[in-house]
Amino acid sequence: MAEAEIVAAAPAGRLPSLEATRRTGGTALWIVLFLAPFIALYAGFTLWPLLATVAYSLFDWDGIRPLSHFIGLGNYQKIAADPVFWKAFTNTLIFAVLNTIIKLPPALVLAIVLTRKWLWLKRIFRTVFFVPVILPVSVAGLIFTYLLNPSNGSLNAVLRGVGLVHQPIDLLGHDNTALMALVLISVWQVFGQYLIYWMAALQNVPDDLYEVAEIDGSGEWSKLRHITLPMIRPMAVIITLLALVNALHVFGLVVTLTSGGPGRSTYVMSYFIYTEAFSQIPYKYGYASAAALLFGVLALIFVTTQGFFARKAEILRRAYGV
Amino acid sequence: MVSSQCSPAIVRRRLPRNVRRNLVAMAILSLIGFVWVYPFLWTISVAFKTQLGAFSAGASLIPHPIELGNFARAWVVAGFGMLFLNTVLYASGATLIELIKSAMCGYVLARYEFPGRTLLYRLVIATLFVPIATVIIPQFLLVERLGLLNTRAGVILALSGGAGALYVLLFTNFFKSVPQELFDAASLDGASFPQTFRLILPLARPIIAVVVIFQFIQAWNDFNVPLVYTIGQPSLQNLAVGMFAFQGAHSLDWTGFAAATVISFVPILIVFFAFQGYFVRGLAGAVKG
Repeated sequence: MAEAEIVAAAPAGRLPSLEATRRTGGTALWIVLFLAPFIALYAGFTLWPLLATVAYSLFDWDGIRPLSHFIGLGNYQKIAADPVFWKAFTNTLIFAVLNTIIKLPPALVLAIVLTRKWLWLKRIFRTVFFVPVILPVSVAGLIFTYLLNPSNGSLNAVLRGVGLVHQPIDLLGHDNTALMALVLISVWQVFGQYLIYWMAALQNVPDDLYEVAEIDGSGEWSKLRHITLPMIRPMAVIITLLALVNALHVFGLVVTLTSGGPGRSTYVMSYFIYTEAFSQIPYKYGYASAAALLFGVLALIFVTTQGFFARKAEILRRAYGV
Repeated sequence: MVSSQCSPAIVRRRLPRNVRRNLVAMAILSLIGFVWVYPFLWTISVAFKTQLGAFSAGASLIPHPIELGNFARAWVVAGFGMLFLNTVLYASGATLIELIKSAMCGYVLARYEFPGRTLLYRLVIATLFVPIATVIIPQFLLVERLGLLNTRAGVILALSGGAGALYVLLFTNFFKSVPQELFDAASLDGASFPQTFRLILPLARPIIAVVVIFQFIQAWNDFNVPLVYTIGQPSLQNLAVGMFAFQGAHSLDWTGFAAATVISFVPILIVFFAFQGYFVRGLAGAVKG
């Protein structure tokens, strides 16, 4: 068979198959077959949509009439002057950064506690912190509209019960608290996911490093500072990146909890794009595409900034020889 | 953590270090844990309350009087069985497609040379973090043109079509790390291309676990895609969208909503509780691989 030839052709190479495969018809066919599903979907649902978004953003288009009213950068000019877009833009940034800062450090602390060998009931506590992740986001949103309800919600009942407030407070109904409330509810919902990420990172620290440290007489705290934290650094970069990008996508909570309100105080990018493109007739596909593209660029900037830190972490990783 | 000089000698003798540590940890974890699961406990208790009882209970968790009709009402009025079926179909369909396409593509990317290999690899990395909001309009138009708008196939396609770049990279890295000797042995035995793949694939179990769990949870909870792709088709909605719609139409039926939430939540909770160890190990293995 083909594989036998491949091995014979390049016995010394690290990937012996590389040059030889092109010559063997059977294998080439299999390569095409194996690539086809991914490439077809990738082209249809990622590459083409990206190009199409660029194209649509240059037209005044409602998605129904033919795509003929070319307006160049007109949509971008309108966006630059659209206060709602900029409000959504800043809200998304604030949301993503606050959300990431608030959820990651406590999740790491908890992950360290939950990976201690001596701890009882690990399984139960892991599940307790993970369950909000499996709750559909819209359901989570609805539950919190009840809990935060100013007239008879639990939060107000508790706060009034212990005498912290006298007037019922409406966290979601005020400009200055609504976004923060969204951030906290989102932290509650996704916390478990990041807990699991951290736990996976901690599991990858080789046990023998700790054993050596114990022989040297290091305490828990010194092991944490000198082994655990440096070792999980590369993973920490990836986790932070995922956390930021996921937070930039916030949509379901906004729809179910605030619909972008009160006023525009919780308007975020994906909600802005959704309302422009799908919920108001006439649909503004062109305009929404321009906004979507700008948003994509924003996400990219986040990635590249992170990439800088990732490279630094990679150097560190090599320095530690793992 | 608990050093010997800060605790009285008698206590130390009576309770081993382990027990003392655990008592402290249990107290703190239970307190935080209670706050964490309070929304769930509240939902469960409301599911058993009467409408009036739910309205006047405040923060209390004990239903009084107990009402069981909420569950029947949620099942019938919300068409809950259908929502549940849709969600299972969407989540498993999207997960299966995602798994197959990314495993096969990752395998070939890792082990074989073909024209455009580097280009494909770079493209996949470059588009790792494209937000769904950026491409949702053309995706929508594509599904519409395929004639799959307002069909289950359309939703599954939209859920699984765009994602997967990350999974391809995970699989590629993993298959690169498989020792060449295994491939050599397979070819000595005369294994064909698909036979070799079938032989190697089970080794990727940690990656498979991660892809399945991530994609399943994500597709199970997705709100954006089903909302856009099933506008005006209640019979095609998933739980996330359907329960939102139910709430819009019956905004006073808190107890029915809570009962629906409880029914929908129990199955996936059991799945997670059973597989959680595998989840963490799988994730750790995936990152290492």
